[in-house]
Amino acid sequence: MSKTVFRYFFDFLDGQEKWLNTMAGQGYRLKKCGRVTYTFDECTPNEYEYTVEFVGDKAYSQAKDYRRYLEGMGLRTFTKNINLNFSYGKVKWRPYAKGMGQIATSPGGFNRELLILEKRKDGKPFELHTDVHDKLDTYKTVRRAYVWAIFLLLGLTAMTFIPGVSSMPPAMAWVLRAIILAFGILFIIPAVKYSSFVNRLKEESKTFE
Amino acid sequence: MIYLYYSKRNKAEVICIRDNIKGGALTETTLLVLLAVYQPKHGYGIMQFIEKETSGRVILGAGTLYGAINALVKKKWIIPFGDEPDSRKKEYIITAAGKQKVEEELKRMDEVCKLALAIIGEESST
Repeated sequence: MSKTVFRYFFDFLDGQEKWLNTMAGQGYRLKKCGRVTYTFDECTPNEYEYTVEFVGDKAYSQAKDYRRYLEGMGLRTFTKNINLNFSYGKVKWRPYAKGMGQIATSPGGFNRELLILEKRKDGKPFELHTDVHDKLDTYKTVRRAYVWAIFLLLGLTAMTFIPGVSSMPPAMAWVLRAIILAFGILFIIPAVKYSSFVNRLKEESKTFE
Repeated sequence: MIYLYYSKRNKAEVICIRDNIKGGALTETTLLVLLAVYQPKHGYGIMQFIEKETSGRVILGAGTLYGAINALVKKKWIIPFGDEPDSRKKEYIITAAGKQKVEEELKRMDEVCKLALAIIGEESST
């Protein structure tokens, strides 16, 4: 029997991964995912496990190649959105990405910033990145995505203080600022967490590979 | 750690360079991947080879291996073997440049081993 759950994660990497593994522990195997929906099939509890990979910094062709490679490694893959995009029509700008990854198109890499990966539980750790430097690069990329989101929210807040920019009454402007602040906090929490990962890994990388 | 001092617009700055840049040491991941592709292998084969030959001490993550393969292909230390365009089945083989790097690394590791053994030997005899 299928079960659909509505969920959105501001901590799109670890938070989502933990939740998917909790669901798998309760006997739910991911069948498909939409923007804010996850559909599960029933399975034996703890039969599968999940990890989430951020590929929003990659050009679409690179992300596709990486996905094919992971499937070749025997992993089941799903694409997922983070909705951290600033768009005009079907061409989106991803300020946190590198090179051609900054331009995401739909159809293309837009709304496919994450890869959810599934494997049958075999007692071995399900880690995609096992090298300190590689982990460091991964978390730096994730942190950059959050920092950009925070900067853009700050920019948006600053705009509400510029006289004449909007015809909004002052009370509405404060409501808007409060909403932006709430979103800002939701982005700041994971940003701080990934920053602390980056700092710890930087220390580790001085001694270990 | 090596420290380089230089002046930029009259301002002294320090750049830290890790020992392996100076010494040309390869990371363990790089060395093991190079060793794995002395015979052509695809990604999963490389991963299994490393796990088996290190008796499970090193289990490379798929993401780390993907990055290592791409970096080594860029350096031309390994090349795709055959003309399989599908990255799921693509095999890789080491090049002459890659083999040279492995030999240099073995020489460096041998020097480090000799040094360590000499010091440990001295310590245990005192």
